[in-house]
Amino acid sequence: MTRFTWRRMLQWLLVILLAWWLITFLARWWFGSGPEQQVHANAQQLAHGRYLLDAADCAACHTASGGAPFAGGVPLHSPFGTIHGTNITPDPDHGIGRYTTDDFFHAMTKGEARDGHQLYPAMPYVSYKSMTRADSDAIYAYLMNQVAVKQANPSNDVNFPANIRAGVHVWNLLFAGAQARPASQGNSHVWQRGRYLVETLGHCGECHSPRGALGQVDRDRPLGGNNELGRFAAPDITPQGLAARGWAGASLREYLATGSSALAVASDEMLNVVNLSTSRLNAQDLDAMTIYLLGDAPPAPATPANVVTRVAASADAAGQRHYFDLCAGCHGRDGGGVPNVAVSLRANSSVRDSSPHNLIVAVLDGLPEHDFPGLARMQDMPGFAADLDDAEVAVLATWLRQRFGGQSAPVNVESVRELRR
Amino acid sequence: MLKLKINGKEYGPVDVPDDMMLVDVLHEYLGLTGTRFGCGQGECGACTVIVDDTRGPREVRSCITGAHYFSDKPIRTVEGHARRDAAGEISALSPVQQAFLDHFSFQCGYCTPGFVNAATVLLERLAKSPVHKEELEPTILEALNPHLCRCTGYVRYYQAVKQLVLSTPGLVKP
Repeated sequence: MTRFTWRRMLQWLLVILLAWWLITFLARWWFGSGPEQQVHANAQQLAHGRYLLDAADCAACHTASGGAPFAGGVPLHSPFGTIHGTNITPDPDHGIGRYTTDDFFHAMTKGEARDGHQLYPAMPYVSYKSMTRADSDAIYAYLMNQVAVKQANPSNDVNFPANIRAGVHVWNLLFAGAQARPASQGNSHVWQRGRYLVETLGHCGECHSPRGALGQVDRDRPLGGNNELGRFAAPDITPQGLAARGWAGASLREYLATGSSALAVASDEMLNVVNLSTSRLNAQDLDAMTIYLLGDAPPAPATPANVVTRVAASADAAGQRHYFDLCAGCHGRDGGGVPNVAVSLRANSSVRDSSPHNLIVAVLDGLPEHDFPGLARMQDMPGFAADLDDAEVAVLATWLRQRFGGQSAPVNVESVRELRR
Repeated sequence: MLKLKINGKEYGPVDVPDDMMLVDVLHEYLGLTGTRFGCGQGECGACTVIVDDTRGPREVRSCITGAHYFSDKPIRTVEGHARRDAAGEISALSPVQQAFLDHFSFQCGYCTPGFVNAATVLLERLAKSPVHKEELEPTILEALNPHLCRCTGYVRYYQAVKQLVLSTPGLVKP
């Protein structure tokens, strides 16, 4: 190649870049200065929109703790950096005040903002892509009739190269298109509704499905569990995973409705999901979610008869000592717990989980006080990271899993070491 | 068989159930009834004792901690703070106890053992690592906040501790 053609190519590249920049600039200016939208909706339409907005759990990421409703600012930590939920109040400059119904539907299902910039896939448009137009419009109508909040969106802290927004185009091309296969078997009408509530509106798979190296949801293992997103793992909620931990229709429904059941209480981010979303669903929709999660023909739940109650004496001594010293004061000698104080550990979903991840994190870090819908609560649990070394936590966790969880495999010290901060 | 070291004195060996909490052993086996049983869930702080182990001095809630946990850890309870004469009679209260009396900090007194222990731990910590004067108020708040007082004596407890810290040399950096 001659020097001349190199120069020509460079010139062309420059022209293309300039044109790209100009188009982007003009588009942002044009779409940033469109007319403010006025949306009229009656009380019934607003209530319907609010219901769908709760089912889609918008508040979890768009209402900051102690902040104005839907004004954004919630930090979302991901392996690619920290992203913030944006202002989705009708404010024309910081919110969605200039969005039309088309713009809104486009952003919800295609992940592209009105000014043409790509939303990060932390916004679950990959799940929302199957949202119906009517539902999107109802949510839009509700949001557009809320108080506009003049609150600028905090800047994100995303690492290179994930911070190149245009790269999301490529990501979308690779990963946003196909629908994940359903996580359970079924075809009843209720199951279909449940699929829409779980996979589309509830976007459960965003946390509960394993993800690949580029953050894409693994479509072959929908709802199979993910222990890489937060401090606590989002457990396997496939029918088999749920049944292995003892879940059946009634307990699962109670958990989604109240945050609490004999098998577990909702903690960490799931407590938010229950408070902001699932506890606000009507009876039919809760049934539908439950039926979808377990399938039209639910597998038989593993019964507490599987729980080992007799532990070998040699393995017993140290673990039992730690339990009586540090745990039994609240959870009781027999692990039965105290209502509204401490959970029952007997057949507890996290104690019998084949992975000890969440049990270890709870022992190390403790848990904050839980407020459930209504008056139910759980008091805070102290963490024992300072009291117990890695080997002692492993011994205690092994004892708990054998005594109350029916899991005979010992917890190894390495898994505690990895989880200790 | 359980042996405990409480307020510098050896107790036991006593045969206590393996899942018994310390506060029950103090009350039922050792006659040390100054430590109060409040909520029984480690929330109110009335049952707080001081543990002087390698991580100590530190507060531990005796109502939710098994007595056997303390078998190798020296404990101080509210009975151990005042100075006593040869006959075992109290000759002088500890500075914290005296400050709470001077400030009329408590009314029914049920939470007081916990507050005495919390404030004592705070003072001993400050003697080892003093804080700057502007950090003192949040430091006191952090130490006393976990303790509940249903007579709402919080302000007077707080003021008593603050004045005691400020009038004791070496606890606050200039």
